[in-house]
Amino acid sequence: MVWMRRLLLGAVLSVGPGLPGLVAAQDELASRACHLDGWSDALRCFRVAVGADDSELAVMVAPAVNDSEREPLYLLAGGPGQAASDLAPLLNAFRKINRERDIVMVDRRGAGLSGAFRCGFEREMPADLQQFSRRLADCYLQRPDFAESLSSRQTVEDLERVRMFLGHGRIALWGGSWGTRTALLYQQWYPESLSALVLDAVAPIDTKVFLTATAAERALQQLERDCARDPVCARFGDWKGQLAKMLNGWSAEQAASFPDPLTGGPVTEPLARWVLANAIRGALYDPVAAAQIPYAVHQAGRGNYLPLSGITGLFQNHADSMAMGLTFSVACAEELNRIGADEVAADSEGSFLGSAFFDLFRSGCEAWPVSSKPYAAPAPREHPVLLISGSADPITPPYYAEQQLGYLSHRQHLVVAGGGHINSRRGCIPELISRFLEMPGEPLEQACVADIHRPPFMADAFGPALGVSAVSVERGDQL
Amino acid sequence: MIAVESINKQFAGRRVLDHLSFTVPDGQITALLGANGAGKTTCLRIITGLLRADAGRVRLGGVDVARDPMAARRQLGVVGDREGLYERLTVAEYLTMFARVQGLCGKELDRALQSVREELELDELWQRRTRGFSQGERMKVSLARALVHRPRHLILDEPTRGLDVLAARLLRRTLLRLRQQGTTILFSSHVMSEVSELSDRVLVMAGGRIVGGGSPAELLAHTGCDNLEDAFVTLAYGAAVGKRTEEEPA
Amino acid sequence: MAMDRIISLQMSALLRKEMLETWRDRRALWMAICFSLLIPVMLAGTMVIVVKKQTEESTRLVLLGGDVAPLLEQRLRSDSLEVEALAEGEPRALLAGGYDLVLQLEEGFVDRYESFRAPKMYLYVDSSSTSAGRAERHLQERLGKLQQLVVSQRLTARGVAPQLLAPWQLQVRDVSTPSSRGALLLAMVPGLLILTLFVASLATSVDTSAGERERLSLEALLMQPVPGWQLVAAKMLAVASMGWLGSLLAIAALVALMPVMPLAELGIQQATTASGVITMGLLLLPLALLVAVVQILLALRSSSFKDAQTQLSILQIAPVMLLMVLDAARVDLADSYWQLVPLVAQQQWLKSLLVGDSVSLPLLLAGSMVCLLLVALSVAFGARALRRESLLGAT
Repeated sequence: MVWMRRLLLGAVLSVGPGLPGLVAAQDELASRACHLDGWSDALRCFRVAVGADDSELAVMVAPAVNDSEREPLYLLAGGPGQAASDLAPLLNAFRKINRERDIVMVDRRGAGLSGAFRCGFEREMPADLQQFSRRLADCYLQRPDFAESLSSRQTVEDLERVRMFLGHGRIALWGGSWGTRTALLYQQWYPESLSALVLDAVAPIDTKVFLTATAAERALQQLERDCARDPVCARFGDWKGQLAKMLNGWSAEQAASFPDPLTGGPVTEPLARWVLANAIRGALYDPVAAAQIPYAVHQAGRGNYLPLSGITGLFQNHADSMAMGLTFSVACAEELNRIGADEVAADSEGSFLGSAFFDLFRSGCEAWPVSSKPYAAPAPREHPVLLISGSADPITPPYYAEQQLGYLSHRQHLVVAGGGHINSRRGCIPELISRFLEMPGEPLEQACVADIHRPPFMADAFGPALGVSAVSVERGDQL
Repeated sequence: MIAVESINKQFAGRRVLDHLSFTVPDGQITALLGANGAGKTTCLRIITGLLRADAGRVRLGGVDVARDPMAARRQLGVVGDREGLYERLTVAEYLTMFARVQGLCGKELDRALQSVREELELDELWQRRTRGFSQGERMKVSLARALVHRPRHLILDEPTRGLDVLAARLLRRTLLRLRQQGTTILFSSHVMSEVSELSDRVLVMAGGRIVGGGSPAELLAHTGCDNLEDAFVTLAYGAAVGKRTEEEPA
Repeated sequence: MAMDRIISLQMSALLRKEMLETWRDRRALWMAICFSLLIPVMLAGTMVIVVKKQTEESTRLVLLGGDVAPLLEQRLRSDSLEVEALAEGEPRALLAGGYDLVLQLEEGFVDRYESFRAPKMYLYVDSSSTSAGRAERHLQERLGKLQQLVVSQRLTARGVAPQLLAPWQLQVRDVSTPSSRGALLLAMVPGLLILTLFVASLATSVDTSAGERERLSLEALLMQPVPGWQLVAAKMLAVASMGWLGSLLAIAALVALMPVMPLAELGIQQATTASGVITMGLLLLPLALLVAVVQILLALRSSSFKDAQTQLSILQIAPVMLLMVLDAARVDLADSYWQLVPLVAQQQWLKSLLVGDSVSLPLLLAGSMVCLLLVALSVAFGARALRRESLLGAT
């Protein structure tokens, strides 16, 4: 019987939906089923050859449940240096969009599964800037041509190639953070290929987003205001003043005895002031973490650094998602090159962060001598654009989107009160994005955005206070 | 000619036909008489090939019914006992179907239909579905079905049962006309007046065999009765019964 | 040649008769149509209602003693969870009075919470109520999130990175495809389509066999110079035409109703293609023939019209039950041997085509051939059965 079975199995030929000749174009492309972390369903993965060398892009498609011929949505990751494949968890929020639309993630060259250019910074960044620069320089010297080749222009063109490879007509783009920049450039260079843009945490083409001190300061100020309106948080008094004092007087002793959030013992490497300032800035990205800052600072003022250490521990996992080589290639060529020292000084003036963030990039770019790749002034565009901002975003605050996107004639802006960096997953925002993609021309009913609140402030070692009215917190949020 | 040669038939161990033999000569009307349970219907069914004899054989115009049933059926028309029509078909559809099954087609088919339509006065019924037909109408349709292919042999099982006077008359006329045309006719009946009016020959069955046969006159002579009914009763139920009935009028 | 012509003439005459009788039987026709439409309509209706319930119905929760814990009240509230904080009340009465859940906070809840003494919450639920499961899910979802937030803040307060609580990351990789998920949900549909086939041809098959015998019209037919297999085949074709068209109607209705069904909400691809639908129709044809001839044989065997109806009613349920049992028992029906078994084969093929999977053409042909072979055998068997004397209720 075995031979017969072989005969039957060997002669398998597809009928039904795939009668010969009726096969959809995409099925002929070589794809395989694959998975990404944070999304349990199978995806279709492609390798798309680009450029003269053997470069291949990793393209991951979450196929629409229903093939309804609607424009696919491409997700563009931030960084620069983050991979679109790391955005897979976003698919959970975009489930409804995914019913009718393919969602496409393309890891740009040098990121994620397209040959991540990490320069060996897999785990943590060294706290010593000089050491960091040295390692970057070594990395650059190994592949100077590659480092030079990476740019937004290249990414946009690769994206266009992927669009054609997949046989897509017009596409919609979702960009997050730096991904909004890529999306806006794609809109400039390939307007015919684009149907609509969804930009979350907007980095307009003309905005120098690496000047973050003022934005971070404003986010912290907003946190302070919201805290003052909250009866629980208000008890911490002038915690912002304490923070400034602590950062200014950060001593070697404090740095060395800072507790390690992972081991419980003192840190192995002293915690530099700029790292601490950046940790606070980082906590402002996420309102859940930000809600813990007043208590943590208050405790630190009393000599208990544990809560502060806990906050730094919230971001321990994030470092390896950035491909540093790619980040510096793009940041140095497209951002750092156009920022003058006076601008840095003006930005840092009176902020808790100072130049702590910028310095990292400035010293890095000194070790990363790529040529400047300036953008042309953006031309007017009429695509429907949905902008999403968090009012307390420490790097891409809503006023960037308000001030620098006048050239987009059909834009609407959702601002999440008290929101941090990236809000696409919160509250009714996924639903609004879905509705926007269905009818990009129509103004959205935005009322539900006001229902998104800051999470409760940490009251004490027991966590949030259940027992005190939180109504005032909500009021504060909506300002 | 229909020749029944020494057939036996048993149902569940009970002998129904017992070395039954008779012949039905061509161009004559033969009546088959018998009490209920005498084996008439079984005998007719064996002749039509619906049942098979346990022993013996039946030849229809020289064809062995058991050996070549198809050839036998083509020269045979049968009107069964209490037979049903197809109530969702019109008479025309009904007759066309049977005519074609008998192998008629084209002009031949049209002619055959036309002739039964006229002979059996089916004009009014022709396009009607047979649901709700009276007993007489049903008989006409059944007879038309049996005749549509002009069979050389016609077998009727109690054809006049339940018929009104007009219908019975039409049937009798038709049978007489068919005899003139040379059709061999065998029918079973319980109606003695009919039998004596129609039949050239009479066969009386009892206990699965022929207990008497011949022209009505011969039967009367043989039994010594003065009417056919008495003759039949004498033959079918035995002399004693026959005598008693004979005495009754007195 | 002449013989062939006569045979085809006879056959077409018989077929015409059977078809006319079949399709003029209004009652059988209506029964077939109604049943064919019933199943898709019921399926679509159930699906719409279930999804509507899942997505739209919200849970009403009473937070007893919740006046002292406004944050709890605020954090539990969501689109699917209506929360009402009451100082006091009787849980049973509240549950009886239209609330789905009552969450009672222990006396001194906030104090105990703030002093880390794990205060108790009592969840009153009526598990005999249909909404209980959904309500509990809604609550757990919100309560779980709040709990996570509290735990995370407590850890932070102690300088512990929250990831310490997650010694590893479990990443689920679901290897199902939208079509295989659909297969799970639409698993019943092939069985129901096959049931439609049985039901649609039931009345006709009884009518044309036991019915014809009871109306005493069978005898005249048997005395015609046609071979028995032609009689059976003509009847079978007429019956199968009814059953097949019934199942085609069901397929058409199903496909037509698919846009109404909230398949996407259930993560199922609406993948049935035009060629898939045509294939579905075609692959049911051999089965329709087999069902028809088997029904006719059984009806002929039975002692009366009524008896035939009873027997066939059992016959139509038995195979469908069998299929469902096989399916439930997780017998691997996708195996190629099974695809040579009529009924099972058609069920498997329908299942694949419904969810947009492909079917192996050689297997489909082989399975259909097996089915047709059985049809031929049954017709031959039927021809013999027609010669049986007991068929006539012999005298």
